[in-house]
Amino acid sequence: MKISLFKSPELQFSATTFFAKQHKGETCGSNGLPLTPNSIIIFGKAQMLKTLKHPYLCEYLDIIRGKHERTIVVSQFCGKPASEFIGKNQLSISEVKKIAFQLFTALNELHKKRIVHRNLSCENILIQSNGDIKLFNYGSYYMTNNGQLVTFPIMKLAYSAPEVYLSPSKADIASSKVDVWSVGIILIEFIFNKQLWSNLKLGQQIRKILSFYQCGTSIFEKIAREHNCFDIYHNLPQDIKEIVEQCLQINPKNRPSCEEFLQNEMFVEYKNVKCKNPSRVCKPYQIFTLKELYQWWQLTGGDVFLELKKQGLIRSSPPVLSLPCLIMLDGTILGQGRNPATLYDFRIVHMGLDTLYQRFGHIHLNSCYPLLHFKSDIIDMFDPAPYDIKNLPLVIKEKDPEYQFHRIILFRRLLHGYPFTKDMIRKEAKKDIPPLLRGEIWAALLDIKADYKKAYAVIDKETVTTTDRQIEVDIPRCHQYNELLSSTEGHIKLRRILKAWVQKNTQYVYWQGLDSLTAPFLYLNFNDEAKAYHCLSAFVPKYVHKFFLRDNSAVIREYLAKFSQLIAFHDPELANHLHNINFYPELFAIPWFLTVFSHVFPLYKILHVWDNLLLGDSSFPLHVGLSVLTQLRTKLLTAGFNDCILLFSDLPEVDIEKSINYSIDTFKKTPKSITAREHQNEEFTIQSEHDISGVTLDDLNKERSPRISARDTTDLLRTAPESILVIDIRNPVQFSRCCVRGSINIPFSSVSFGESNIENIGQHAQMLKNSQERIVIIVGSTDTDLELFPKFLLNCGISKVCVLHGGFNILTSVTPTVLVSQKFET
Amino acid sequence: MANRSGAAQRPNGTQGKICQFKLVLLGESAVGKSSLVLRFVKGQFHEYQESTIGAAFLTQTVCLDDTTVKFEIWDTAGQERYHSLAPMYYRGAQAAIVVYDITNQDTFGRAKTWVKELQRQASPTIVIALAGNKQDLANKRMVEFEEAQTYADENGLLFMETSAKTALNVNDIFLAIAKKLPKYDQNQGQSGQGQGRRLAEGDQGAKTPGNCCK
Repeated sequence: MKISLFKSPELQFSATTFFAKQHKGETCGSNGLPLTPNSIIIFGKAQMLKTLKHPYLCEYLDIIRGKHERTIVVSQFCGKPASEFIGKNQLSISEVKKIAFQLFTALNELHKKRIVHRNLSCENILIQSNGDIKLFNYGSYYMTNNGQLVTFPIMKLAYSAPEVYLSPSKADIASSKVDVWSVGIILIEFIFNKQLWSNLKLGQQIRKILSFYQCGTSIFEKIAREHNCFDIYHNLPQDIKEIVEQCLQINPKNRPSCEEFLQNEMFVEYKNVKCKNPSRVCKPYQIFTLKELYQWWQLTGGDVFLELKKQGLIRSSPPVLSLPCLIMLDGTILGQGRNPATLYDFRIVHMGLDTLYQRFGHIHLNSCYPLLHFKSDIIDMFDPAPYDIKNLPLVIKEKDPEYQFHRIILFRRLLHGYPFTKDMIRKEAKKDIPPLLRGEIWAALLDIKADYKKAYAVIDKETVTTTDRQIEVDIPRCHQYNELLSSTEGHIKLRRILKAWVQKNTQYVYWQGLDSLTAPFLYLNFNDEAKAYHCLSAFVPKYVHKFFLRDNSAVIREYLAKFSQLIAFHDPELANHLHNINFYPELFAIPWFLTVFSHVFPLYKILHVWDNLLLGDSSFPLHVGLSVLTQLRTKLLTAGFNDCILLFSDLPEVDIEKSINYSIDTFKKTPKSITAREHQNEEFTIQSEHDISGVTLDDLNKERSPRISARDTTDLLRTAPESILVIDIRNPVQFSRCCVRGSINIPFSSVSFGESNIENIGQHAQMLKNSQERIVIIVGSTDTDLELFPKFLLNCGISKVCVLHGGFNILTSVTPTVLVSQKFET
Repeated sequence: MANRSGAAQRPNGTQGKICQFKLVLLGESAVGKSSLVLRFVKGQFHEYQESTIGAAFLTQTVCLDDTTVKFEIWDTAGQERYHSLAPMYYRGAQAAIVVYDITNQDTFGRAKTWVKELQRQASPTIVIALAGNKQDLANKRMVEFEEAQTYADENGLLFMETSAKTALNVNDIFLAIAKKLPKYDQNQGQSGQGQGRRLAEGDQGAKTPGNCCK
C-alpha cells in the first residue's frame, strides 16, 4: 500500500488571520523597554492551544506572525460547519442530544484549562461525516488575552449571552458561563431547524437579547413563540427542554457548568459510546500526528502565507495609502481611515495536502513501521532501499521532507520505547536529530524520567528572593529576537524555571548566563515547562558542574587553563601567538564556557551545537571553543592583542556545521585525560589510580602542555602504538634499565633549551618534525623537569605534546605489558 | 574596527600627540554600561542589549585639539557575583565611568560603592566619571540630579546624566574624561606606568601616527 492511499477526506488544514491591536506611538513599559507587540503576546499565549488534543476539538497546529501585527492561526479543519445543516435537514432529538453531549464535553475540556470560547456559534461547530462534532476556532478569546489584544469584539452576536453586552469593560473577567448560554441557543437552532433572529438587524438583535432581562417566564418559550415554533417546543421531551432552559438562565450563576450538565441522566448513554465502538484497526493516516503531517506539508512546499495571498486574505496596499494626514508630537495619529483589514476576517482558508501526498506517493507502507530490533534477510529483501542523504549538509537534511519523514517515524517509535531504547536513541542521534522531535530527544539524552511533572510542580517558584532583581533585568535581554522568548508568556515561564532552579539548587547561585543556558530548553519545551526545568537540571551537573557555585573562580580557571592546553595540544602555532600577545582565555572565553555558547550564538546555532554536546561530555565545549578559534585562525595569527580581543567582542559569523565537525574530530582524537579536570563531576567519570588527580591550579597554569594519564597511555600503547611517540627524557642509564616499549630516549640534560630550534634535540629531531598526527608523550621522572621540555617542543611548533602524569614510575605497576628492558631487547 | 570621530584630522598627517588610555565601565547590571559603549563606539542602540558576561572590549579614538586619544574600553559584567573579576579590569586603568540608572535608587548606591572601591584599590591618579544613565526616562526618575551632582562634587568626580538611547551626553562624557586625563606622547616608547598589562609590545604598530583616525 502506498501512502497516497492514506488520504483522509476529513483531514485538512485551514488558516484564519487577524491583526493584533497596535501600540500607539512609541511607548515604553515601566522598565523603560519598549512594550511587547501584541502579536508577540498572542504568539506566546497561543502556544498552549497547540497542546489540546480532544476528539471534539480541532487541533491547533501553528501560529505565525506576519507584518504589521498580523497573526495567522493554522488549525485542523474537518467536516462541515453546522450552520450549513440548519434549515436543511431536521435532526432527530437523539441527534440533538448527542450534539449537546459532545458540546458540553468539548467545552468542559476547555473550561478545565481555563479557556473560554466566547465565540461559539453554529459556524464553528464542524459536523463530521459520522455525525460527531469538532469545535473550531475556540481559542481566539483566550489567545488574545480575553479579547484585549485586538480591536474587534470576539463574539457572535446572536449566540452571545446578555451579560456579554452589559459588561464590555469587564471583558477581562472570562466567565465560562457565557459558553453555556451559547449552547442553549445552538440547541434551539437545531431543534427548530432554524437560524434565530436571522432577519433582524444588528441593533435589533442586541435589543432582543437584552430584552430577556425583562422576561419573567421561560426564555426558551419566548423564543419558541417568536419563531412560530411553539408546537415543537410544547412537544419536546422534558429532559432536553430542561437542558435548554437551564442554559438560558438569565443570571449566569443559575446556569449549570458544563461539568454539571454532563452529570445529567440524559447523557449516560453517550458517555460510554467509545467502548461500544468495535475495536477497529488504526487507519493508516492515523499513525501520523497532525503536527507531523503539517511539518511535512511545509517541507514539501506548503506555504500558509502563499495560500492566504492566493485567496485574497492578505492584500498588500501601496504604503503611501497607509500614511496618516497628521501626527501630533505625542504620537497621536489623525486623518487615517480605519484599515478594513484590521477588522475581523471571518474567512477560512482551506489548504489541501495534495502536494504532500504526491511527494510521498511512492513511499512504501513498510517505511511507516521500521523494524527496530531484528531484521531478517527475508524481510530486508522486501524492504525498499533506505532513503539515504547521510552525506548531505545538515541544513539540507533538515529541509528534506522525505528524509524528515523517515527520521521522525523512526525516532517517534524509539521515543515510545524510552527508556528501554535509550541506547538506540543515542545511536540515531549521532546521525542527526529531526527538529520536530528535538525537545523529546534531548530529554531522552538527558535521562529525564517519566514522572518529572510532579517534582516540578512542588517547587516554590513564587516566593520573593534576593535574586529576583537580577533575574528580572536579565530575562528581557535573553534571546529577545526569538518570538517565543520575547513573549510575555515566555518571560513568565523563564522566570519560573530560573526561580525553581535557584530554589532547588541551594549549593548554587544565579549567575548571569543561567538565563541563556535555560533558553534553548524553554524554546524546545515551551508547552512543557517542567520538562524544560528538568532538562536544565540534568544538564548542569553533566556539562557545567560547579560552574554556578557562589565562588566558581577555581572551577572556571581550571576550565580555562584546560582550554589553553587544548589549544597548545592541537595548534601550537596559534597557542604560541596568543601566549606571546598575552591573550588569555579569561578575556573572552568565560561566557563561552559558563553558558556553553548559549550566550554567544543565536538559538538555531546553539541547537546544533548542543545536539552534539549532549552526545559528548563536559570537555566537548572546549573542543567547540577550539573550533571557533580555528575558524578565525588566520585573522588571529596576524593580529595583535587589541585586534584579537575586538574580534571576540563582536564575534564574527561562525560556520557552525564546520565548527561542529571540527569539534567532533578533535574530540575523538584527544585522549580523555588530556581534558580531565579536578572539578569535573565524578558521577560521570570513573577514577582509578591510573588517572590524573591532585593537579593544582597553579601547576595547571604553569604547564602549557596537558598531562596524559597512565591509563590512556597504556591503552594507546596496546591498541594503537603507531599513533603515539613516547619520548623518555630520563638519563640513558635509567632508560636502558627499563623503558616503554617503542619509546625513544632524549635525555633532558642533553638538550639546550636556549632557542626554539628542534634540531637542538639531536638525532630524533627529524622524527619529531614528522610526528604530525602522532601524540607525543613525554615520560620523565621526579627528578626531571616536566615543564621545560614540553614547552620547548611547543615553541618549536610540535603538536599533540603531552606529559605522562606521574612520570615513569606510575607505569611500573603495568610492567609486563608495556615496559621492556633495553638490554633484554638487544 | 572603524574609528568614528567627530574631530577632524589635521591635513598632511602631522598629528600631534597620541595617547592611549584604558577605561573601565563599572556599575550595577542593566544600568546601561554596554549601551553607553555601543553608542560611543558604533553610534548604535539596541533596546534588548544582551547582558555582559565576564567583560567586553572595544576601542574608540577621539581627537582633542592636537591630541589623538585612543580609549581602550573594558565593559564589565554588572552582576555583583562577577565582582571578583573587576580588579582584573580596573587595575591599571587611567579612567573609569561608574554608571547608575536614574530610575533606580539602588543602582546609585551601588555606584557609590564602586567609587569607594576605585578610590581605595585603583591607581591613585584614576579619573572617575559618574554617569546617570537612562536620562530619557526622566519622568520615572528616582535619583535627583542635584543629589548625584553633590555627591560627585564631594568626591571629585566628573558627572553627567546620559542617555544611550538618545545619545545625550554620551560623547561628551568620554570627551570630558579625555580632557581631564594627563597627556603625554606615547609614540616615544611610553613606559608601562598606568598601562594595563594587556598592552603588549607587539601592538606598537597600531600606535604610529596616521594609523589612528582613519
